[in-house]
Amino acid sequence: MMIALLVAVSMLTFGAMSLLGDPLFNILGPVAGDTENPENLAKINAAKEQYYLDKPLPERYVRWAGDFLTGDFGVQFSTDGQPPVANLIKERLPRTLRLMVMAQILAVAIAIPWGVLAASRANKPSDRISTFTAFLFVSLPNFALAVILFYVFALKLDWLPDTYNATDPFFGFTHKHRFTQLLLPAFTLALPTASVYQRLLRTDLITTLQEDFILMARAKGESRRKVLYGHALRPSLFSVVTIFGINAGALIGGALVVEIYFRIPGVGTAIVEAVLREDFPVVLALVMIIATGFVVLNFLVDILYTFIDPRVRR
Amino acid sequence: MSESPLLVVEDYHVGFRTETGLAKAVDGVSFTLNRGQTLGIVGESGSGKSVLNRGFMGLVSSSRMIESGSVLFDGQQIVNQDRQDLWGKRIAMIFQDPMTSLNPVMKVGKQIFEPLRRHLNMDKGQARERAIELLTSVGIPSPAQRLSQYPHELSGGMRQRVMIAIALAAEPEMLVADEPTTALDVTVQKYILDLLRELQQEHGMAMTLITHDLGVARGRTDEVMVMYGGRKLEHAATETLFADMHHPYTEALLASTPSLAHPKHTRLFPIPGSPPDIVDPPPGCRFSPRCMYAQDRCTTDNPETTSLTDHEYACFYPVGSDAGAEALKHNQDAGQTATGLKIGRAKEGAH
Repeated sequence: MMIALLVAVSMLTFGAMSLLGDPLFNILGPVAGDTENPENLAKINAAKEQYYLDKPLPERYVRWAGDFLTGDFGVQFSTDGQPPVANLIKERLPRTLRLMVMAQILAVAIAIPWGVLAASRANKPSDRISTFTAFLFVSLPNFALAVILFYVFALKLDWLPDTYNATDPFFGFTHKHRFTQLLLPAFTLALPTASVYQRLLRTDLITTLQEDFILMARAKGESRRKVLYGHALRPSLFSVVTIFGINAGALIGGALVVEIYFRIPGVGTAIVEAVLREDFPVVLALVMIIATGFVVLNFLVDILYTFIDPRVRR
Repeated sequence: MSESPLLVVEDYHVGFRTETGLAKAVDGVSFTLNRGQTLGIVGESGSGKSVLNRGFMGLVSSSRMIESGSVLFDGQQIVNQDRQDLWGKRIAMIFQDPMTSLNPVMKVGKQIFEPLRRHLNMDKGQARERAIELLTSVGIPSPAQRLSQYPHELSGGMRQRVMIAIALAAEPEMLVADEPTTALDVTVQKYILDLLRELQQEHGMAMTLITHDLGVARGRTDEVMVMYGGRKLEHAATETLFADMHHPYTEALLASTPSLAHPKHTRLFPIPGSPPDIVDPPPGCRFSPRCMYAQDRCTTDNPETTSLTDHEYACFYPVGSDAGAEALKHNQDAGQTATGLKIGRAKEGAH
C-alpha cells in the first residue's frame, strides 16, 4: 500500500513537471531557443542526449525511478552549472528536520500538561481561558505569531538570538547556538500545533475520565496526578497521535512562512525556488523525500497505536 | 474501641443541583454498620443505593453534588471532608462491571501493585509476591502469568476476581461492593458472591453489598436495608426480613425477582410504574403511586419509621399486620388503590 502510494506520487509529480516549460532553458540559458545557429543546435542536441530529454516520457520516468532507487537523485537544472541534487538535499534537509523535530517535541511537551489540566477542570474558568488561548493560537497566522515572538523574545527581552540578519544560522556556529537559533521558529510552529493537540487531548480525556476504571483508580486511593497521568492519559492519546503523524509528515516539507521569516534556507524554500525555476529533478527529489517521510511516519503511528492500546494488537 | 460501630450514618442527604431543581438522590438515610458485618442495600435502579455509598465515600466528583447529615467512620466525621486518605486503604470498593472497571491499557499486575505500593509501601518484589497471593486467594489459576496479561485477556468472572483482589490488597476495614455480580453470567454470580462472603469473614471486614436483587442479599448478609426514591423503607436482620417482611415494596421486590428456590413456572409480578421523580417527589409515601396497599393517608402523610427490635419500616399499612390486610382487601374490593393504581380483584396466591 505504502509503496503503491509512493509510486503514484512520483508518477503524478513527474507528469506534472513535464507539463512545465522546456528544461533546456534552465540548463543552457537563452541559447536553448536558438536552433538556427548550428553551434547552438549542437549544444542543444548534446544536452538533450545527456539528460535523455529526447526520449519519450515513460522511458524518462523509468530511468529516473531506477536512479532514484539507487540513491542517485540526478543533477540540478541551473544555468550556472549542474551540481547534484543530493548536495542541495544534504544542505537543506537537516535544517528542516531539526526544526520539525524541535517544533513537534515542544508541541507535545506543551499540549500534554495543557490538555490534562484543561480536561481535569473541564468547563471551569481556567479551562475556558485555555480554550480561548488555544483558538487564538490556531487562528493567528504563522507570520503574525512569528513577528510577535520575534519582537518580544529577540528584540525586547533579548533572550534569544536575533536571527533576522543571519545569512546562515548553521554556518560555523556551535550546537548550542544552532539550538537557540531555532527556538523562535520552533515555537512559532509549535504553539498552533500544541493548541490543536490540546483540543483533541482535552476532548478525549474528558470522555476517558467518565470511564468506570477512572472511578476505580480513584477508589483505589491513587493520587489525582496518578489518576490523570497514569490511568487516563494513555487511552486518550489516539486522536493526538493520529494528527501528530499527519502534522509531522507535513512539516518535513518545511514551513515556508517560518523559513522565510527567520531566514532559514530549508526544504520549504528549496521547493518553492525549484518550482519557480522549473528545476524538476530537485522538485521530484524533494517531493519524494516528503512523501516517503510522510508514509514512514504514519506507519510508525500505526505501530504506536498498538503500544497505546494492547487491544489493537491481534 | 473495636466495640464501637465502624460506620454510623445519620440523616444523610445527597442532592444534585439540576436545571429543574435539587434532585434528592439520598433523602435522610440512617444506618449503622459494625465491624465485620455485612449490610445488604437493596433497591431498584435510581433508588439511591449507589449514590448513598459513593456519597459517603466522597467519590462523587460532580460539582453539582451537595451532601449533608452525619457520617462517622471509625468515630470520625467524614461528610464534606476530603476522604482520599480512606480510599483503597480503609474503605475499598468493587464495581458492577468488571469489563469497564479495570484499566484496559494497563497490565493486571500493575493494577494490583498500585494499592500495595501506595498503601503498604511495598517494593516491586514484595508487591509481586503479595499480588500472587491475593490472586490465589480469589481463586485465579496460574496467578503469576496473569500479572503480565491485560484485562481483555481475562473472562468476566476472572476480571471480577482481579477487582476483588485489588480491593482487598491493602486489607481495608470496609468494602463497598456495588452490584458486584450484575454484569456477570448467572453461573459465575454465585461463586463471586460466595467468595466475597468468605473473604469478608476471613478478613473481618465490614461490607455493604449493593444489589437490586433481594435473592443476592439472602444468606450473604447480616442485615438488609431496602431503599426506594432515596429513602430507607425497611431495614432488618436478614433472617427477620425474609421471614417477616413488613413493607409492601419489599414484598413487591421479592415477588418480581426469580429465585432458584421457586418451583418451576412460578409467576413473577413486576412492580407497576417506575421509580419516582426525585426532583419533585410525590407527597406522602414515595412508593404510594405503585403500592397495592395505598390508602388516602399514604398520598398525603409521610410514614414515620417504626422501630421494633432488629426491624425498622416506614409504612402505615405494613404487610402482615391487620391494618395492612385490611388496606389490601379494601383496595382489591375497589379494584384500585387510593392513587388510582388498578389492581386485579382476586390475586392468585402470589405470596
